[in-house]
Amino acid sequence: MSFARQAMRVGLSPRFCLVSASGSSLTSTVIRSAVAQRRLLHSSRCSSASQHDPSHHDHGHEQHTESLHSDMKLLHGRYPETPLYSDLNSNVNVKKFKTGERAIDKAVHLFFLTEIMRGMWIVMENFFRPPYTIMYPFEKGPLSPRFRGEHALRRYPSGEERCIACKLCEAICPAQAITIESETRLDGSRRTTKYDIDMTKCIYCGFCQEACPVDAIVETQNQEFSTETREELLYNKEKLLANGDRAEAEIAANLHADHVYR
Amino acid sequence: MRRVGLREWWRQMQYIGDAKSGVHVGTDQFGNRYFENMNGEEEIPGRQRWVDFAQHEYHASQVPPEWHSWIHHIRKDPPTNDPVIKNLTPPWQTPWMENLTGTRGAFKTYNTVAPKFNAWEPKTVSRGA
Repeated sequence: MSFARQAMRVGLSPRFCLVSASGSSLTSTVIRSAVAQRRLLHSSRCSSASQHDPSHHDHGHEQHTESLHSDMKLLHGRYPETPLYSDLNSNVNVKKFKTGERAIDKAVHLFFLTEIMRGMWIVMENFFRPPYTIMYPFEKGPLSPRFRGEHALRRYPSGEERCIACKLCEAICPAQAITIESETRLDGSRRTTKYDIDMTKCIYCGFCQEACPVDAIVETQNQEFSTETREELLYNKEKLLANGDRAEAEIAANLHADHVYR
Repeated sequence: MRRVGLREWWRQMQYIGDAKSGVHVGTDQFGNRYFENMNGEEEIPGRQRWVDFAQHEYHASQVPPEWHSWIHHIRKDPPTNDPVIKNLTPPWQTPWMENLTGTRGAFKTYNTVAPKFNAWEPKTVSRGA
């Protein structure tokens, strides 16, 4: 007998039992349904394993095993008056499960797919409801003014670039994505000649903008800077300054919104 | 649908995928139009602001930064009447560029300093003969 056929007969037998329980010619079916119930009980043994019946008399090896005690009591070398889990029959939480769903009810729910049908009904209800989806390029989800996206180098309102090449961002960068080289400019101020950020290394932790003493390197709210090639993500100083020049109003407004918490 | 008309409804269903109607809040320099509907019974929270792109080949990065902070719900007011954004816009701000990856305008990185190592250029002295 193949396994599939056996499973099918087990599946059908509770229905036979419901239709005619008093058929003399169907005694074999009734017996088989009883077998089926027995099998279902066996399958749900774990849930009923904690019920311990006092009228059940084969205490064979349970008597030899020690009853369970709290280990704190064991630590102090004395046993409590009543061991833990000894009063399972008076326990409310255990009693609750003694009068549960019968196996035949379980089988009916299982084989008539009632739970599947209820689930499908919920699916159909939600099909006719308005969607919760945020249609992305047209509607966008909320962002914080502290959101850390694409990097940018800022300028002072006079147009002078802010970065003074102190290299604190380079030192704190945990991914070591920043490379800085500096020179003295003709007017005597120290500026960067090279400010490279490898955006493929960057982990967007925001330590660089925390470390910056002049608010030069910031992470803008722009998150739509994905590229097709890897080379486009190796930003140099001109690209970072261009990012800052384009988004200065937004960056300044975000810093203004956040300055009371700094 | 009754408010926007049949033609606009059909366009929105092909475009956004949902029929929406609201107040026209503003238009940016590229011609993208921004809408808002604060009625909680018509739009669920999070969907009350949206953009109608000017270009047919629309992309999320075509939104300029000022409107970007509005449509991402970072700022409450649209940049047309947000005093903070207006005061903090410097005169040297350059126009926004969308993400040009995959086109000829894509960013191509280069070195901003002179190379540290140069190839050896042998200087030969001609033998006197």
